Amino acid sequence: MPARNHNQWTANPPLQSSEWIDSRIYTEEAIFEEEMEKIFKKTWIPVCHESELPKPYDFRTTSIAREPVVICRGPDNVIRAFLNVCPHRGMIIERRPAGSFFEPQPSGNPKRMTCMFHAWQFDMKGNCVYVSREKEGYQDRLRKEDVGLRRLRCEVKFGGFVWVNLDDNPVSLEDWAGKPFECLRRTLEAEPLEVFHYHKAIVETNYKLWHDTNCEFYHDFMHYHNRVTGFNDAYFARKNESFENGHIVVGTFEVNYDQYEGFESRAELSFPHLPPNQWYMIDLFPGMNFNLRGSALRCDTVTPLGPNKLMIEFRGLGLKSDSKEDRQTRINHHNSIWGPFGRNLHEDLIGVQGQGTTMRPGSEPRRVLHGRQENQTIHDENGMRHYYDEWGRWMNRMPNDPDKVFAERKLMAAE
Amino acid sequence: MDAASAVREAIGRATIYLDDQRWNDWLDLCADDFHYAIKSYSPEISYDMTYLQGGRKDMESLIKLLPKHNTDHSPLSRHTNVCTVEVDADGKNATAVSSVAVYQHLLDGTNSHVDSGESRLFLVGKYIDKFRIEEGRPVFVDREVRLQNRRLDKGSHWPI
Repeated sequence: MPARNHNQWTANPPLQSSEWIDSRIYTEEAIFEEEMEKIFKKTWIPVCHESELPKPYDFRTTSIAREPVVICRGPDNVIRAFLNVCPHRGMIIERRPAGSFFEPQPSGNPKRMTCMFHAWQFDMKGNCVYVSREKEGYQDRLRKEDVGLRRLRCEVKFGGFVWVNLDDNPVSLEDWAGKPFECLRRTLEAEPLEVFHYHKAIVETNYKLWHDTNCEFYHDFMHYHNRVTGFNDAYFARKNESFENGHIVVGTFEVNYDQYEGFESRAELSFPHLPPNQWYMIDLFPGMNFNLRGSALRCDTVTPLGPNKLMIEFRGLGLKSDSKEDRQTRINHHNSIWGPFGRNLHEDLIGVQGQGTTMRPGSEPRRVLHGRQENQTIHDENGMRHYYDEWGRWMNRMPNDPDKVFAERKLMAAE
Repeated sequence: MDAASAVREAIGRATIYLDDQRWNDWLDLCADDFHYAIKSYSPEISYDMTYLQGGRKDMESLIKLLPKHNTDHSPLSRHTNVCTVEVDADGKNATAVSSVAVYQHLLDGTNSHVDSGESRLFLVGKYIDKFRIEEGRPVFVDREVRLQNRRLDKGSHWPI
């Protein structure tokens, strides 16, 4: 067909209704706000790794759906999460990204989380243990027991990642993500892991478009590195497998790293229990990614900032037992592809920002296709279809017509 | 020209070659055993990170393959201020520390209709350079780009 006029351009594609979406789900402020409430405040988010708080009283801060969160390791070695909000006047309690509560702060004592504003103090279990001039101000009307922190569901799992859920009664983390992690569980739990890489990107795009890029491998045409190291029969046979809760796993094959000039095989530093140079990808709803290229593990965590603004945190991990030399090699393997100056990540981010450029709040709605059917192999877009089916269920909106409720989907399919 | 002045000039010349994307001219300023690294300390994970590193051959491969990669073509300019130059007593080696701010002049990275022509601060950090002085000419044997940034957005394919 030649270039199309407006009516042709905006017509629905000749595909099944599940094989494309309406770009308003990437651009509308109301939908974004609804996603924060219905999805991000209800699902498990991997906020950091246990190696980022190795000692008692170590902490990390983060945020989920705009809610500030503090994660700390107690003297009992248990990692707990709380809203990082003082119950007194709503001040953020800890302002640093990471550190230790072992040392005193200008307003407070050692081994306490102290709100700098009025010096209220909390222990590592979230109990309020000090209210300055308590009796003088509150007499017996308000006690410390009444003003503990808001505790959050928190588990350390799947290779030592720290998972937090803002919902008090979520499905268990094992039930949420255990099955997709099965392919790597033995590998990730063989020995402790350690984070060696962290950086952030803020890009003008929707978080789902970034997750799409992690879910679909058809875009490997964009990556010269992946074409020369990967495009062979085994690559095209990789399975794209769907799991309950909107998760997917892309199966492995052997990557020929030495086909890219200057790169080397990663076989000698394969993670435990893996054959050499394997490449597994686990994509979790609503936007988390675990990507193991043989010798290095990458984890992406999305923090949506708006319908067209996204922060992605990138972590790289190796084995805690690495020698100095092995660690440096793993870092090279990770960052030569996935670092901020690596071969692939820059291309991926240009790609999703380019999508964000054409799909901004107020842009004419587009039909975005994910209709490739290739027997659920690597370039089949079944992973994205599975993801958007789950998205529709959580949002009760049709991905290809978000004004319609999800229940209408079956009716439309029957028409 | 004394050794310290020659070192300053070599850093200035490297800045111009990198800004002009004359990658091979830049490498000609470097010894065969040259080592390059981009590093940053992360208070988030309490780790001294290496974002990119390699020897001269690695950098040659990286540069050679640049045309095969999709990239953001927005030019970079490096504002380099040499802070200290220390020449060894025997005059054979030198170390220099420079502060550097890298600006990105937007071209095709986002929506070029709106953004092209804008200059944004891209990176801030230091160059920590080591030189061998061969017949009065300083050659780079090591460059560490030590960044303050850990928010790097789209990143870059280019040496900094």
